[in-house]
Amino acid sequence: MAYLPCGVYHERYRQEHAWWQTRFVRAKMGLLAALLLVFPLTTNPYLVSVANIVGYTILSALGVQLLIGVCGQITLGHAAFIAVGGYATAIGMLQYGLPYPVSLLVGAVLAGLWSVLFGLPSARVKGFYLIMTTMAAQFVTVDFIITQYVSRIGGRGHYFSLPPGTVTIGPWVIDSDLKAYYLMIALVVGSIAALANLLRTRVGRAWVAIRDNDIAAQTMGVNIVRYKLLAFFVAGVLGGIAGAFWISSLYFVSPEHFTLGWSLWLVGVVLIGGIGSLQGVVFGSLFVTLTLEALGFAVSGLRDLFPTLPDKFLYVKEGAFGLAIVFFLLYEPRGLAYRWQQMKNYFNLWPFAY
Amino acid sequence: MEIFLELVLTGIMVGSIYALVALGWTLIYKCSGVLNLAMGELTLLGAYVCLAFYTWGFPFPAALGATLIIGFLLGLLTERLFLRRMIGEPVLSVVMVTVGLSFFFRAVVGFLWGTDTRVFDPPVFPREPFRLGQMVFGQVYLWSFVAAVVLLVVFVAFFERTRWGLAMKATADDEMAALSLGVSAKRVYALAWAIAFMAAGVGGTLLGNINGLNISVGTLGILVLPAVVLGGLNSIPGAIVGGIAIGVLQNLSGGYLERFTAGGVKEIAPFVFMVILLLFRPYGLWGWVKIERV
Repeated sequence: MAYLPCGVYHERYRQEHAWWQTRFVRAKMGLLAALLLVFPLTTNPYLVSVANIVGYTILSALGVQLLIGVCGQITLGHAAFIAVGGYATAIGMLQYGLPYPVSLLVGAVLAGLWSVLFGLPSARVKGFYLIMTTMAAQFVTVDFIITQYVSRIGGRGHYFSLPPGTVTIGPWVIDSDLKAYYLMIALVVGSIAALANLLRTRVGRAWVAIRDNDIAAQTMGVNIVRYKLLAFFVAGVLGGIAGAFWISSLYFVSPEHFTLGWSLWLVGVVLIGGIGSLQGVVFGSLFVTLTLEALGFAVSGLRDLFPTLPDKFLYVKEGAFGLAIVFFLLYEPRGLAYRWQQMKNYFNLWPFAY
Repeated sequence: MEIFLELVLTGIMVGSIYALVALGWTLIYKCSGVLNLAMGELTLLGAYVCLAFYTWGFPFPAALGATLIIGFLLGLLTERLFLRRMIGEPVLSVVMVTVGLSFFFRAVVGFLWGTDTRVFDPPVFPREPFRLGQMVFGQVYLWSFVAAVVLLVVFVAFFERTRWGLAMKATADDEMAALSLGVSAKRVYALAWAIAFMAAGVGGTLLGNINGLNISVGTLGILVLPAVVLGGLNSIPGAIVGGIAIGVLQNLSGGYLERFTAGGVKEIAPFVFMVILLLFRPYGLWGWVKIERV
């Protein structure tokens, strides 16, 4: 719960519904936007590529947050839908020669429909059993359909590689990390804004009702099957967008990018950021990605003492991530977003405690 | 027909290993209500610990015994440090703690032992195939089957015949009543995790003997999930039957369906079966019907 400063009076409902209600907040957001636009021009390419990873993680984790945090449907197979989006976009561009924005949309919708297919069991099962079915979605989609069949379309071997310069939006060719960064910013801001607004509507309230108590929601007249499937569809679409962005920044896709590990990773990001909060997705992605990059520097700094350590960095990274999930759940179960609210409230209320 | 029998028998033998691991899973769920997704990594860890002892020159039974002891201690430690605080938390939190642990354990294994496939060298079980009429099996399957069955009998006897087993059954049945009769629930939880680690360690060692040991043995451990869903989450006989059934199903689909597809059916058949089962009978063969409904 955020507090408004003294002396803010709303005269219209419009003002009360506004996302940013005071001039101070609007200025802050303007500053943030300026920072995001200027940031890549002032730093080195390495940081821009890290920012792209953060953006990809945010896009991927948004769907997970929607399913787990907003609608209460636990999913451990979200990488499958990202993979569907990525592959559909790649196939659209390579086989059918569609322009990138069109194949992005096709990929997103296909990923959404695929997600609904595996969301169907949610009409009957929940909790642990739903975890099992979404995990099955992961194995069936990525390890079987994509690895064995989709990868062979066009005889390109195991991964799809896009020739440089094919990812274009109109006359704008995305051929560098810097351009992918601006695409990422547009997609991330667009997705978050769309989702945040969706959550304020009848649909969003229905999802929250299902999360809190599905039987109660049903007695209140919420069609829970329809809204659960809608949640799976929207989450799949967001995953598909993430997959399409992945192509624009890396120029190729391979089944190895979408393992069960990545699905679990996304759930971990959401937990660390804070369940049920869109800010949490951003905080979680930033925290996890930046911490692991910092860890990478620390490990390469220890090269002189332990010469084999950098080769094993992957394991250090995974182990640290695993422990981070465990410790967040034990000691900060509401995640970083809650801590951020606490900090803001502290400053808003200063010098009083509450 | 011989091919069919051979596939079924091999399936039963591999399935008995799954049954052993599934037993450990069910035990944890029955006693403490924790849904454990780290079972695959526990098998992996146990297998590598045993391999380490074996390569240091321990005879195989001694290495297996050492694995059991280490598994017991690690199980106690894991329960005490991480899982005890999570009892009664929402499903997602508990599951994700075990997911975090699985990341951690896999990282430990990868860090210490690398990604290359290791084999037990010299081979533990004789290489000559074992013949039964026209059918041929590797001896390793037969011995794994024997070892798994012996351990299953030991564990079941432990539940049925000892004081500790009785305490575990009581806690699983009604925690409050057990507490009021002087059963220490904490010790029961700790014991359940210790037994699960031990069962997983032996299961992993046997799997590692069949095909060599690398990080993918951990994904084989995920197969216990379809097995326990088939058996009903909280039924010990269900876990054993489910494990064997999944082994048979996997082998049959590998033998008969592989030719119609591009490959990989063997790995996903148990999961497809599980999804279909969940749609029609989510409580499995002998699970409590009311389980997991709010």
